[in-house]
Amino acid sequence: MPTVTIDGCKVRVKKNATVLDAAKKAGIWIPTLCYHPAVSCDASCRICMVELERGDWRQLVTACNYPVREDIVVYVSSERAQQARRGVMELLLARAPESEELKALAERMGVKETHYPKVTESQRNCILCGLCVRVCEEIIGQSAIGFAGRGVDRTVAAPFRQPSDDCIGCGACAVVCPVGTIKLRIHKDQQEVEISPFKSRAKLLLCRQCGAPVVSVQVSEQVMGKVGLDCEEFRERVRLCPKCRKLQSAAQLASAPIRKKQ
Amino acid sequence: MTKLCGKRLNNHEELELVREDLLKHRNSGTKSVCVCVGPGCAAKGANRLYELFCEAVRQSDSKVKVEAKSVGCHGLCECGPIILIQPGDIFYQRVEEPDVAEIFRETVLSDRIVERLLHEDPSTGEKARSPDEIPFYKAQNRIALAYNGLIDPANIEDYIAAGGYTALPKALTTMTSEEIIAEVELAGLRGRGGGGFPTARKWRSCRESDGSPKYVICNGDEGDPGAFMDRAIMEGNPHSVIEGMVIGAYAIGSSQGYIYVRNEYPLSVERLKEAIEQARQWGFLGEDILGSSFSFNIRINRGGGAFVCGESTALMASLEGRTGEPRAKYVHTVESGFRGKPTNLNNVETWTNIPPIINRGGEWFAGIGTEKSKGTKVFSLVGNVVNTGLVEVPMGITLRRIIDEIGGGVRDGKRFKAVQTGGPSGGCIPSEHLDARVDFDELTKLGSMMGSGGMIVMDEGTCMVRVARYFTEFLQKESCGKCTPCREGLAQMLHILNRITRGEGDVGDIEELGVLAELLEGTALCALGKTAANPVLSTIRYFRDEYDAHILDRHCPAKECRGLFRYEIDAEACKACGICLKNCPEDAITGEKEVPHVINQEKCTLCGICWEKCPFTAVLKV
Ligand SMILES: Cc1cc2nc3c(=O)[nH]c(=O)nc-3n(C[C@H](O)[C@H](O)[C@H](O)COP(=O)(O)O)c2cc1C
Ligand code: SF4
Repeated sequence: MPTVTIDGCKVRVKKNATVLDAAKKAGIWIPTLCYHPAVSCDASCRICMVELERGDWRQLVTACNYPVREDIVVYVSSERAQQARRGVMELLLARAPESEELKALAERMGVKETHYPKVTESQRNCILCGLCVRVCEEIIGQSAIGFAGRGVDRTVAAPFRQPSDDCIGCGACAVVCPVGTIKLRIHKDQQEVEISPFKSRAKLLLCRQCGAPVVSVQVSEQVMGKVGLDCEEFRERVRLCPKCRKLQSAAQLASAPIRKKQ
Repeated sequence: MTKLCGKRLNNHEELELVREDLLKHRNSGTKSVCVCVGPGCAAKGANRLYELFCEAVRQSDSKVKVEAKSVGCHGLCECGPIILIQPGDIFYQRVEEPDVAEIFRETVLSDRIVERLLHEDPSTGEKARSPDEIPFYKAQNRIALAYNGLIDPANIEDYIAAGGYTALPKALTTMTSEEIIAEVELAGLRGRGGGGFPTARKWRSCRESDGSPKYVICNGDEGDPGAFMDRAIMEGNPHSVIEGMVIGAYAIGSSQGYIYVRNEYPLSVERLKEAIEQARQWGFLGEDILGSSFSFNIRINRGGGAFVCGESTALMASLEGRTGEPRAKYVHTVESGFRGKPTNLNNVETWTNIPPIINRGGEWFAGIGTEKSKGTKVFSLVGNVVNTGLVEVPMGITLRRIIDEIGGGVRDGKRFKAVQTGGPSGGCIPSEHLDARVDFDELTKLGSMMGSGGMIVMDEGTCMVRVARYFTEFLQKESCGKCTPCREGLAQMLHILNRITRGEGDVGDIEELGVLAELLEGTALCALGKTAANPVLSTIRYFRDEYDAHILDRHCPAKECRGLFRYEIDAEACKACGICLKNCPEDAITGEKEVPHVINQEKCTLCGICWEKCPFTAVLKV
């Protein structure tokens, strides 16, 4: 178990831990955007820069993927580290000026506003952190979205920028999106969920009881496949929204004949 | 010829027998016409010349035995197409189709020189018969390019006869891996692909890394605009790259290699493919190489078509079939690279230097160059210089000698302004530092770098802010867009530079560029972003007054930025011919016969047509 010093605080961490893990353990906050514990690390947003001292050199590194070693001293709040993080944040604010989530993070970092003009186009404030792409590939296993274009033309999109057939409408991408770019839209009339802005749509399963949307049909099928349960009872339960499911359970309980202990 | 020729050779002795035979056969009075079909000469019709010589050879009924060869780049591309006649080393330049018959009749068959096609020194008027007498070649020292222009790249026998594949048996049969690495270490060889990392140290780390299999890769992605060093080697002497790789693979303990070739280089791919096939037939590749029980194979992959694919992690991602984007990793690729296995990546020129180091020893190599930069470096010398082309110079030579002696000085009698080295993320070095030595660390100290060997000479008419803008734009377009500072920061820098060159700069812009530069250097994910601000930083460092003139005076001192200078007619030089007046699309010029003409500045849209058309250069940029 290596020990590392972060802003003067010594913490012992597991082998293979990152500087970010160590900082968490030490109770020191480092802002992150493209990091999520559930998916692989990309270190592409560069908002988690910290300063590192090793032997006689000092360097800025990303906390999310730098492996902790015995011989390093980490400075999260050094002038240079803060300046680097704020600089990156200002660039992101210039790109995505309307994201409330981003503004909130900026404020927490002490960045009131950006002094850069908007020079790159972003699709609804997308900062290209790529969490959606990774969650879709690594967790959901669908790879329905990916990066397209290079440099300032880079965007996240489904292949050929068309609605994707691979999208199962699970909404995991919307959950991990840190800046509110990805939204779920329910189209009641067509009984469909749309993953916006990717335009992908999936048929919704409506609650048999109350008609409220439950999940997409494909998700329910995948869940069924995953748990390996295919009994009539389970299928029945999946067809109910959480609320009705609870009610049903309660009703079943209430009406069940009471068996005496033998 | 012995029966061994073209057969798989089982050991060192067989190879030497074959070599002796080849030499005997070759020294028996055959004349060779070596037609350079390198990129420069090919663009000027050299392939057709080669066909004509082949035809001439076929039709000749003379007793003289003649062979025509198409060979790789000679270097002096400015004077192409180039033809070299052996024996005698007779060098003809700017050869055209009608010259072929004369060369064949006079020089090849009758040993007479065609004076008109010889190289002439522009300053002294002296004619040179062979490359050794041409100033362009005199100050060069060719190791990587030693056989370029002499051997037929498509014929392994040429390479063997010239002494190729002597280092390989030496390494395999008389040296241990550690001895090979020690030799390379003694040579002090540093990577020629840009970073200048000590090659032996990389090899050793890879050798000592846990994990198998191990891979060796040759980086032939060469994405720098205008650069063609690696191309010249791959197309001019592909076997030297292969030989270097086999030796490296043996030292590292790898049995599979890859050559990653830039997508725009189909001829390089073809040459390398042929060479690999031949090397396999002869037993220099494949199983049990020269009976040593060491096995190694090479595959060729075509590049992903983006500049950033030359970056080590992006290259490996591309090789794996994924998008060619850099990966953020603090674990080195010698530990976990291609397919997560220990991988050693070297540049084409780095690999080519290996056989001569093994043959002649590390000490010999280390005897060339400076304390920390050993050997030679190939540069592609371009821009406003008299002799553009490919040059190989010993490290430690001054920039001045390269530009003046080899390059023949600045073109058209203009004054020198700066030399840009290091590719798009290099820097511009001004005249006061022309005596700086070509050395990894010295160039870095000057705010530029060695890079992979681009060298662009700029004359007094070059606007340095525009130069910075040009490279920033290149890098911004080539940025993969993965990380924030590079994608957004370069776009911000370009935005500022665009404003400055349009005359809309603000006080404080230079400082803002400095802030962005520091941010990029400190936070970008890969070396593209980290070094992308070099062109801007180096031009601010040496040409700050030009930035100030653009911003404060709305004036471009080099008169390149449209709108930041005016056109005026010099009344004394004007002959009142009326040509400008007739050509001005805006009717902005007034004048009559025998009265000097005048430009109405209010109406002038600065199109520059009058300046182009005036036969008396009376239109001035002020
Ligand atoms: C954006 C970028 C582009 C690069 N392009 C090339 C290239 O075209 N050829 C090359 O040999 N090295 C290139 N490099 C350097 C490689 O990453 C790597 O350092 C080199 O191939 C290692 O070989 P060496 O040690 O023999 O120099 C590039 C680096 C960066 C950051
Ligand atoms: S520095 Fe530029 S090229 Fe390198 S990963 Fe970042 S965006 Fe891509």
